[in-house]
Amino acid sequence: MERDREQGYLEIFQEVAKLISMVLDPQQVMDLVVRRLPELLEVDAATIRLLDAGTNTFVLGAAHGLSDEYLARGFIDSRDVMEMIMKGRPVAKTALDADPLYQHSAEAAREGIKSVLSLPIIFQDHIIGVMRLLTRKNRSFTAREISFSMTLAEQIGVAISSGRLFKEMENQVDFLKEVHEISRLVNSTLDLNTILQTIVDRLPGVMGMKACTIRLLQPETNQLELAAASGLSAEYLQRGSIRKEDSIFQALKGEPVAVYDAPNDPRVQYHEAICKEGIKSILAVPIKKGPEIIGVLRLLTTEHHCFTASEVIFATAVAEESGSAILNALTFQKINLLFNQIEENELFLQAIMDSLQDRIIVVDGKKRVVMVNRGFVEQENRSEQALLGQPYDCISPWEKGEGQPCPIEQVLATGEILVRTERLMVNDQPLWLERSIFPIFADAGGVEYAVETLRDITSQKSLEQERMEREKMAGVLEMAGTVAHELNSPLFAALGTAELLRDELEKEEQRKEMDIILRNMRSMGALTKKMVAMTGFASKEYVGDTRIIEFH
Amino acid sequence: MAEIIALDDVYDAVILIKKILNKKGHVVHTFTEEEEAVDFVRSHAVDLAILDIKLKKMSGIEVLAQMKKILPEIRAIILTGYPTVETAREAISLGANEYCVKPIDKEELEEKVSRVLGEGNGGITAG
Repeated sequence: MERDREQGYLEIFQEVAKLISMVLDPQQVMDLVVRRLPELLEVDAATIRLLDAGTNTFVLGAAHGLSDEYLARGFIDSRDVMEMIMKGRPVAKTALDADPLYQHSAEAAREGIKSVLSLPIIFQDHIIGVMRLLTRKNRSFTAREISFSMTLAEQIGVAISSGRLFKEMENQVDFLKEVHEISRLVNSTLDLNTILQTIVDRLPGVMGMKACTIRLLQPETNQLELAAASGLSAEYLQRGSIRKEDSIFQALKGEPVAVYDAPNDPRVQYHEAICKEGIKSILAVPIKKGPEIIGVLRLLTTEHHCFTASEVIFATAVAEESGSAILNALTFQKINLLFNQIEENELFLQAIMDSLQDRIIVVDGKKRVVMVNRGFVEQENRSEQALLGQPYDCISPWEKGEGQPCPIEQVLATGEILVRTERLMVNDQPLWLERSIFPIFADAGGVEYAVETLRDITSQKSLEQERMEREKMAGVLEMAGTVAHELNSPLFAALGTAELLRDELEKEEQRKEMDIILRNMRSMGALTKKMVAMTGFASKEYVGDTRIIEFH
Repeated sequence: MAEIIALDDVYDAVILIKKILNKKGHVVHTFTEEEEAVDFVRSHAVDLAILDIKLKKMSGIEVLAQMKKILPEIRAIILTGYPTVETAREAISLGANEYCVKPIDKEELEEKVSRVLGEGNGGITAG
């Protein structure tokens, strides 16, 4: 009998050892132990619970021989038993139904439990779980049984830990691949929304979680604003500001925050909305770019979830990768905005230049055309594209005077404004242009560009000429008046005296000659009268540009 | 028969007026200096003053104004080599009887003098 039992111990030990070396899933090891151990140790039931480091509670790992109701109870054992377990010691209790101090006897009684052997599962001096063997008859456990069970529990500890380690490594490899993939995706675009949506769409799937949100700090207000979300209802997303949540404070300080029990944890607000949405656990990690925190990424689950170190590291790594991409996208957005502004400014400037009547041309230091306005384009009858980049001399309407320095070159060399009036003949009509050339200086000094404006001043010029002619005419008239006036008195004297003399002449021949004198003097008088009586005048062309006054 | 003074800065002009009007039996006193002419009016009963507009120091209009003050009933013929609306208006307002543009010929002068002297109180006649 004893030998059989020992054989049984050995077998189960071998099986467990084999499983540990072959099977990587600690669940299988736990299932095997709880199934096989009751028969071997003549107990009715066995459970294995694992310590959740995040919540410091024991979570059911495997069970055999117990009802779901019993397993679902909120406690495991009395405080003193749990304290002993946490100290690494096994505790055996019997006759529970008769023990008035055993607080939880009601559940035990319902299940018919009389004796329990609780054993800590230890790995490298850490309690990682508890194994319990239960009987429905009063039973005492021998030292040998306890010792065997302890050894087995230790083996389970090794199996669980190595399984976890393997799972962790597997996860890490997966995560590493995923970090790489997400990094590739987010860095393949400069569109901020695509980047954010890629992360929130992909990350929950990879981590087996329900939802993901990204909030970014707005540089203007330094407030977090929701930038992207997946897996959450609009109602939940609009529940209100979360800037006063401790979890957010912590994340903004650069620390990841894992909230196991979101509906009750004081580090998050809006518990009602959280319950309604079915959120159980939340992981918040900072989005960083170098030392700077630019936002917070949150992962949400619909099952209570204890976030493992590698999950936290993974989420943090993704958030950091995203940080670079987000910042690049933001920079790109800024550059784009600036570019658009520059483009708008340029259009505005062009519109101003085009609205001016003057013809405007801008040339660079090498005398190549860099800008022309519509006035210039229309006058040249060539497209703007055909004009840009052309050497100035090819499109300038000016003939190059032999030996004369080019005015543009002069302005580029001296930096002094040059204004001159030039006369062109267009279709045999004179065209007067006022030509002004202004230098544009480079920051480092020296003339970088020259702006030439051409203003048609033909009508102004003709007005000016008319005015000059009018003034000249007024001068002529004034002089004619003065001359006439000065002539009239002597003419009057001469004419009158001649008339008197004629009356005294006796010879007919002399009188005829005097008449010639009188006739000519009278026509002189008639002329001076015309001159002074003139109220208006007309001019007529004489020779070339010279005009003479015609008296009426 | 009338007492007439002729004032012009051109000596030959006043001599001519004198010759023409003497033949018509008038007594003509000739002047080229404005003050002398004005002084003459102070001490003589003059019927008619023939004044050129352009004189040496003053204008004929100013001389007429002074003479009218001394002798309000004096009649006047203003001669000008360069008529303007302003001088014509001033001459009329000062009571000039005629406003003639030089050169004026013998017959015209005789006719105008005779008409001015023949008028009752000297309203101007367009000429």
